[in-house]
Amino acid sequence: MDRAGIRQLIIDWLDDNHHFGDAEDLITSDDISWIEHGILKSLAFVELILFLEDNCHVALPRAELTRENFDGMNKILRKLEESGARLG
Amino acid sequence: MATLFHEPDAETISTSSMTAFTKHCENATVRRFPTWAALHSWSVEPTGRFWSELLAWSGALYEGNAEPVVQGAGVEAAQYFPGVRLSYTENLLAGGEPNAVAITACDETGRAEQLTWAQLSHRVSELAAGLRALGVEPGHRVVAVVRNAADSIVACLAATGLGATWSATAPDMGAGAILSRFEQLEPQWLVVHDQQRYGGQLVGLAPLITEVTAALPSLRAVITLGPTAIEGPSTRCYTAQDLVAMGIQGADDLLAGMWPRFAFDHPLFILFSSGTTGAPKCIVHGAGGTLLQHIKEHRLHTGLTPRDTLYFHTTTGWMMWNWLVSALAGGTHIVVYDGSVSSPTPDALVHLLAREGVTVFGTSPVYLQFLELSGVRPQEAADLSRLRLLLSTGAVLYPRHFDFVREHIGPLPVHSISGGTDIIGCFVLGNPNLPVYLGESPCVGLGFDVRVIVDGELRPAGVGELVCCAPFISRPVSFYGDPGRQRFHDAYFAENPGVWTHGDFIELTDRGTARILGRSDGILNIKGVRIGPAEIYTALHDVDEIRDAMALSAEDPKALGGRRLVLLVVPSGGDLERKAIWKIKRTLKERCSVNHVPERVICVADLPTTHSGKRSERAAQDTLDGRPVRNRDALRNPACLEAILTAYRSA
Repeated sequence: MDRAGIRQLIIDWLDDNHHFGDAEDLITSDDISWIEHGILKSLAFVELILFLEDNCHVALPRAELTRENFDGMNKILRKLEESGARLG
Repeated sequence: MATLFHEPDAETISTSSMTAFTKHCENATVRRFPTWAALHSWSVEPTGRFWSELLAWSGALYEGNAEPVVQGAGVEAAQYFPGVRLSYTENLLAGGEPNAVAITACDETGRAEQLTWAQLSHRVSELAAGLRALGVEPGHRVVAVVRNAADSIVACLAATGLGATWSATAPDMGAGAILSRFEQLEPQWLVVHDQQRYGGQLVGLAPLITEVTAALPSLRAVITLGPTAIEGPSTRCYTAQDLVAMGIQGADDLLAGMWPRFAFDHPLFILFSSGTTGAPKCIVHGAGGTLLQHIKEHRLHTGLTPRDTLYFHTTTGWMMWNWLVSALAGGTHIVVYDGSVSSPTPDALVHLLAREGVTVFGTSPVYLQFLELSGVRPQEAADLSRLRLLLSTGAVLYPRHFDFVREHIGPLPVHSISGGTDIIGCFVLGNPNLPVYLGESPCVGLGFDVRVIVDGELRPAGVGELVCCAPFISRPVSFYGDPGRQRFHDAYFAENPGVWTHGDFIELTDRGTARILGRSDGILNIKGVRIGPAEIYTALHDVDEIRDAMALSAEDPKALGGRRLVLLVVPSGGDLERKAIWKIKRTLKERCSVNHVPERVICVADLPTTHSGKRSERAAQDTLDGRPVRNRDALRNPACLEAILTAYRSA
C-alpha cells in the first residue's frame, strides 16, 4: 500500500470538506484521536469511509467501522492496509 | 405495482383514535364515513365542520363561540374560529396527569433532567411571572438561541403564555444567519444558553451571544437559561432564576393555571424560511391553528396517547421542535436530546431510545442511512421492544430505508411524513388504520385538499407540483414585516392563483397514497436540512475571487440524504485556485453553518438568466436532475445549461 499517498489523500479530503487548508496543522500527531480533538465527527467519518472505499478500491466491513479502528490517522491507515487498499 | 410494507390488524383499527374520531363525527353530523376517502373528502368541505368537530372531540380548552368556523373565502384569506379565544400554553400544561412525566431531557452524558406535568406547570408559571415583571407583553417578540433542553421548552411556554411570540434558532448557526432572521423582528427579549456540548466538546456561546446582542438595538434584556448571566453583552442580562425571584410576588394567577387567552390567530411562533432571493421569510403562525393542526397530526394520524413516549430528533430551530412540544397537549411524554446522534458512540441515540422507553421515534432518512453505513444494527445494540412506530421526515424516504427499518429496527409501521415550516405541519402523513406501502406516505392529512398540477392542469392524482386547493387551519397568519401581504402572496399564491403552491414535487396515487419527490422551487435539501440559496449568496457577496454564484443540489445515492450541495461559481478571473475554494467554504461555514458548505464548487462561465435579468436556479436544477427545463424559453442564455452539465460531469 502506498501509505504516504493514501495519507495525503485523506489530508486532501479533510481540507476540501472540513478544514479548508488547516488539516495538516490540526493533526499534530498521527496517533491523536480525531474525535477528541474535534477533527472529525461520527457522521463525517462515515463520509470519509465511503470516499476511501471509492478511491482506494477496498470494501471495509461495516462491523469493523468502530471508533477503535478509525479514530485517528494511524488507525485508519492500519485498517486500510489490512483490507488491501491501493491507490490508482 | 405497490408493495405492501405493513398492514394494521383489526384490533389496532378498532381501538385507534382515528376510529373513535370518525364515530364521533358520524354521530355529530348524522353522516356515514365508511371509507378513509369519505372521511377525508368531508374534512375539506368548505363549511370547516371537520375542524369544529376536532375542537369539540379533542377537549381543547377555549372560550367564546366556535361559530362561524371559517370566515372569508379562499385559501389566502380564510380565517378560522374568529370568535374563539384560547391559550396554547394552557392547553399544553393541562395535557397530562400531575405526577406523570411530561418531559425527559437528555444530552451526550445521559439523562439530564425529568419534569412531571406538575413540575413543568410550576416552572413555566414562575418564569412567566418573572417575564411579566420584567415587562414582557402580548405581541412582544421573544427570540432565542437555545439548546434542545427542558428549560428551552419552559421558556417558550412561559413567553407564549403571556401572549409573546417565540422564535428560536439552534446555537450551531453562525451570527450572520441568526441576525438575518432576528433583525427583521426587532425583538424585545433574547433567551440564550451560554454553552453547548456537541460531539464530546463543550463550546462556550458567549462570543456568539455578544455579537448577536450588539446587532439588535431593540433588545431590552438578555435572559440566560443557566446559573449565571452571560457576560459581555451591553444589554441588561438576567438569569431565569433572577426572573423567578422578580416575579414571585405576583405569580398567583399563573401558578393557579389562569393563563390569559388570546384570539385564535394570535401570533404564537415566527418560523424562518430562506429562499432563492432576499432575506429569510418570517412566517407567523397562529396559536389556534398550530394547536389544532398538531392535535390532529398527533392524536389522529400518529395515534399518540398518554401511554406513548415520543422522541423526534430535531433542534430548536426546526419546526419539528414546535411539533414535538405540542404533543404535550395530548398528554404524551416527550423526550428531547441535545447533542450529536453519534456521540460518544455511533449507536448513542439507539441506546437513548431504549433507555427512555421511546414508543414513537421520529427521525430522517439521513440518520437511517448513517446507521446502515456505520454498521449499527439497532435491534442488536439495544432493547427496542417498546417502539411501535417510526416517523421519518426531512428528505425523501426510499424503499431501501423501509427495508432497513424492518431488518434492523423491527417490524414497525413506517410513516414518511412531509410538510414544512410554511404550514408548521404535514401535508402527507401516516394513519393507524391504513396500510403502509414501500416508499410511500400512507395518506394526505385530514383537512388538506392536496392535488397536483400536471402540465398546467389541476389533478387529484399524478406527478407534479404540490398544491392545496382549500383553506387549511395552519396556513400562516402573515409574514412579519409584510403589512401589505405582498410577499406572503408572492410566496404561495402568485404562481398558481387561488391555490397554495408549496414548492414540492409530489406523486399522488389513485390509492390515496403519496410520494414526496423533492423541492420544485430552488430551495435545497441537504442531509435533511433545508438550505435557502439566498443565504449562501449573501454570505459570499464580498468574496472577491468570484463574480457570481448559484447553489444547487445534485442527486448522489452515496451521499447522506441522497443529494449533495453544489455551488456553481463564475470566477472574477480565470479558474479558481484551490485556496480560493477553501476560502469560499470557510466563509460559508463561519457565516452560515456547516450545512451550507458545498461539497463541490464548479467554475462556469455563465449562469442561466431570464430575459428580465433574473437568475434561474430552477433551470439549472432541472438540468442537473435530467428533467426537461421548464422555463427554457424564458432564458436569454439557454446554451449555458449544457456547459453547466458538462462542467458538473467532468468535475
